Amino acid sequence: MIFPRLTPLGDSALTITWPGGVSSHTHGWVRSVAAKVERLEEVQDLVTSYATLSIYYDPKRVDYQTISRQVQAVLKSAPAEPPIERGREFTIPVVYDGADLEDVARRTGLTTAEVVARHSGRWYDVYLVGFAPGWAYLGDVDASLVLPRRPSPRPRVPAGAVAIANGQTGVYPFSIPGGWHLIGRTDMRMFDPARDEPALLRAGDRVRFEARA
Amino acid sequence: MISVPQAPAYCTIQDLGWRHLRSAGMPVSGVMDPWASAAANRMVGNPTDAAVFEWALTGGRLHFECDAVVAICGPGIEVTHGMHAGEELVLPRPTAGRFLYMAVRGGVDTPTTLGSRSTYLAAGLGHAIRTGDRLPIGSLPTSAATRPGNLPPYDAGVVRVIEGPQRSLFPDAEWERFLRTPWKVSRASDRMGYRLECEGALKAPAADLLSEPACVGAIQVPPDGMPIVLMADGPTVGGYPKIAAVITADLPILAQRLPGAAVQLQVTTVAEAQALIR
Repeated sequence: MIFPRLTPLGDSALTITWPGGVSSHTHGWVRSVAAKVERLEEVQDLVTSYATLSIYYDPKRVDYQTISRQVQAVLKSAPAEPPIERGREFTIPVVYDGADLEDVARRTGLTTAEVVARHSGRWYDVYLVGFAPGWAYLGDVDASLVLPRRPSPRPRVPAGAVAIANGQTGVYPFSIPGGWHLIGRTDMRMFDPARDEPALLRAGDRVRFEARA
Repeated sequence: MISVPQAPAYCTIQDLGWRHLRSAGMPVSGVMDPWASAAANRMVGNPTDAAVFEWALTGGRLHFECDAVVAICGPGIEVTHGMHAGEELVLPRPTAGRFLYMAVRGGVDTPTTLGSRSTYLAAGLGHAIRTGDRLPIGSLPTSAATRPGNLPPYDAGVVRVIEGPQRSLFPDAEWERFLRTPWKVSRASDRMGYRLECEGALKAPAADLLSEPACVGAIQVPPDGMPIVLMADGPTVGGYPKIAAVITADLPILAQRLPGAAVQLQVTTVAEAQALIR
């Protein structure tokens, strides 16, 4: 493994950064180290991203030097290649009638049926959960569907809206402002505080969208 | 029960929030000023993490349907009241700071969600307290001896920061300018984040950063060069470079600064920041 960089993130967390940006190989490292670090007693919370892992701890119980030594020990014991772990798999039913569907078709030079087929025709990796509770960044979308965000965000995107932007796709968990292109909607609840695990998706899961009438 | 004949303009129930759900995208949330909430709880004999009223902007009135002991804390206020059934309590308008807190002996006993009584409006967890609401008083184990609040001073000269994960993306001259600048808290500041403003903006690095985890107190520099300090309801991840982070010990000082108030930063180390909260 290429040894990552450790930096403090404020006085109650630390961030591990792997070089190399977005790749499923790097993300494999992030996830496998996260699974080991999670078992350390002093770890209060963990967030994984594309190429970073942040570890949150209580500085009243453990200081930065001690926790970073524990984390270094985990990193040193890592194998040469990331273990191949398959995350959980989810199928999300989508009605493809989003407000921007025709606009996306026009911008990409495809028919709306082709947009739907290409969006629903593959498995996506959950790279990151964040930005809003239950919001999952899913990638990568088909190269023909890569569009920048809309020039101006909508003040309110309805909950359950399925959207694409910047080569990624996601589902709005609540009615919030947003600048992604809306192509469909789902009834699945991305965040439900009544569940023990409130977010439907975790980093590392795999997701497929299924077109419904 | 406590009923609300007149709710402050912005009032929520908060405790110390969610510290184990960042992976689900949940912010920590909870009280903006843990000093004042802990002081109010101490003064009524509660555990310091009991749920409290947090309010801002205006005052209000509460009606007590039973006897109760309450304490109100915040910048410039540290007071205990013994309330009798049927009496009303005036919640003062915050003037020396942004937020005031009221603890009641036994704690506020609203339902917990995912282990916290905090209110996080963006996800529909809890709601802003409205006129006409009724809130139950809990029966937390309390100590017979109430203790003084012992609030530290809020007018300390500086807000201390430690270097952020992207500090090295800023040239040394820009870092020095960041520390030297007499910042002011912008009007565009809320429970999610406080914007800092000054005459000349910082030069934000052009780096295209992947979104990565953030923390409460992290200072992000967006392309316009006006820093944003992430506060209790701030997002768990962000894509702007984090030049620094406000230390836990000084976050209440910043949280209580009103729009237009001055903020002078000073750099310190992680070891020193951690020693201050031990």
